[in-house]
Amino acid sequence: MKESIIEVQKAINELLLDEIKGLVQACLDEGISPLEIIETGISKGLDLVGEQFEAGTYFLGDLVMAGEVVKEAMPLIESRMDPGAAGQKGKVILATVHGDIHEIGKNIVGMLLNVNGFEVIDLGVDVPAEKIMAAIQETGARLVGLSALLTTMVGGIKEVIDSVMEAGLKDRVKIVIGGACISEKLKEEMGADAYGETAIDAVKIFDGFSKAA
Amino acid sequence: MDPTERIIRTFEGKPVDRVPTFCAGLEDRTFNEVLGQPPFHPHKLIDNPLSDFLFRKWSPLMTKIFFQPLVTIGMEKRVKAAAKLGFDADWAIYEETFTPQNSKSMVRYSGSIYDIIDDGYGNSSYMYRGPGITSREDFDEWPYWRNPDEIAHRSYKFFKKIMKRYGDSMCICGQGSAYGIQETILWSVGFERMPVWIMREKELIKRFIDMIGEICMKTSMALMDAGVTVILQTDDFAFKSGPMINPKQIDSLFGPSYTKIIKAVHDRGGKYILHSCGDNTLLFDIFIKWGVDGLHAYENTANGDIFKEKEIHGEDVTIIGGVGIDYLLSERSKDEEIVDEVKKLIRALGHGGRFMIAPVHSMSSIPADKLRVMLDAAKQYGKYPITV
Repeated sequence: MKESIIEVQKAINELLLDEIKGLVQACLDEGISPLEIIETGISKGLDLVGEQFEAGTYFLGDLVMAGEVVKEAMPLIESRMDPGAAGQKGKVILATVHGDIHEIGKNIVGMLLNVNGFEVIDLGVDVPAEKIMAAIQETGARLVGLSALLTTMVGGIKEVIDSVMEAGLKDRVKIVIGGACISEKLKEEMGADAYGETAIDAVKIFDGFSKAA
Repeated sequence: MDPTERIIRTFEGKPVDRVPTFCAGLEDRTFNEVLGQPPFHPHKLIDNPLSDFLFRKWSPLMTKIFFQPLVTIGMEKRVKAAAKLGFDADWAIYEETFTPQNSKSMVRYSGSIYDIIDDGYGNSSYMYRGPGITSREDFDEWPYWRNPDEIAHRSYKFFKKIMKRYGDSMCICGQGSAYGIQETILWSVGFERMPVWIMREKELIKRFIDMIGEICMKTSMALMDAGVTVILQTDDFAFKSGPMINPKQIDSLFGPSYTKIIKAVHDRGGKYILHSCGDNTLLFDIFIKWGVDGLHAYENTANGDIFKEKEIHGEDVTIIGGVGIDYLLSERSKDEEIVDEVKKLIRALGHGGRFMIAPVHSMSSIPADKLRVMLDAAKQYGKYPITV
């Protein structure tokens, strides 16, 4: 692997916000393709960040920083990319369910999915089930991520899952849930397809569903 | 043994007659069940076209003559209901730093924005909407900054009254118009911005920390002037999976302010509780180094382990919490399940003292009857020596 790509990996892993642009530019100047920079530089760098998070040496704030580092580099890479290459892993609809307006976790997941090659359709917070259903139908997305912070709001998740079942889409659409009040037990009770405890877990789960599709 | 003596001796690791009970605040639904339902739904007073018009036109005046008095009545009711239920200690809050812009949203003095919502029981509650400070200019031009001395003075007046009315029946653990230094800044600039600003806007973050730290210090001292012995500060440093930001950063950024405030409280003979939601396992050593006497919440839904914490830090700090609100203190649980959990917590955490049994949070979903079950069980099975 070329030294300049390793420097990109390292910059992401070490959260070097002010240096990433120059390092990506150096890769492009060497003739490395944008896709290669994403696959072997950025994605690998994010994998290393994920490993550190799982090992307990990185924290939520570091995940945010890693996302910011990638965001800093992406316009440069995208300007040299074929249109259509982004979002190649598929579309993911994200929403904080009806009644709840907390969005930190959802936004972190969205940012990580985005830089990992998913097209993220973020419907925002306090989103009613009908709006999520409409987005599924309109975009053809097969992956949905639902977030809820408060115990009192988990009913909003159930409404979405019930709507997906009523529409006969349960086999086609995978629903991943997460948030402070969510647990594996609640996932079972609600009938969701997966529970992501952390943002890194969520990305892995969506990745798995994307590959299996 | 009176409640305050029971609480203070517990902080000091001295023998007490039974495991003390601590109230993590009561939301409107719960205190209305204890004190009696109001004749109408209070949220309708705020959420109606006339109030909306008046808030939009005369926001500061409406806040002063209408909104704040309503909030203050509610804050006293929280304490009154906790005393009536028979808790040994109560997390009492005075809050006067919100300004409604209309009947649906309000801003906090420190730069954050909230929705005003119905709590599901006809009472007004609030939910964080997002940051109000997204640039250095926003910070410099934010129009709602408040004078710390004024905030401290009004907190003093509230707690003077609270101590006179309820100070003999309960140990008042006071928090005056000052949320935690870290969480205040996080709400004001937004979580996605905070790590970047810590790196790129060091001077601004320092100014912010100093400013909120000054308010925390002044309100804490004002509360002690009013007779409050135990100061409680809420500052959610963790999420369910662990600390929000690197523990070393937390220590270096916020440690100096907290250490100074806690020392000032100790110098006056007081005790200091820190409430932090989430899994704080990696932060307990830091909090203890800052000098805290008690830590609350040990949420059962986070990844932390209250029983392990007792083994590790049980002789250094008083553990407060343990009773879950996601299921146990909800309408879905059975009374015997609450009793079983209380017995389990007392059995595992009561030995050696330095433990207060408490809900892990306040929440509008908590029925007063479930708290009564928890309290009765704690009083029945919590007597020392523990035999349960």
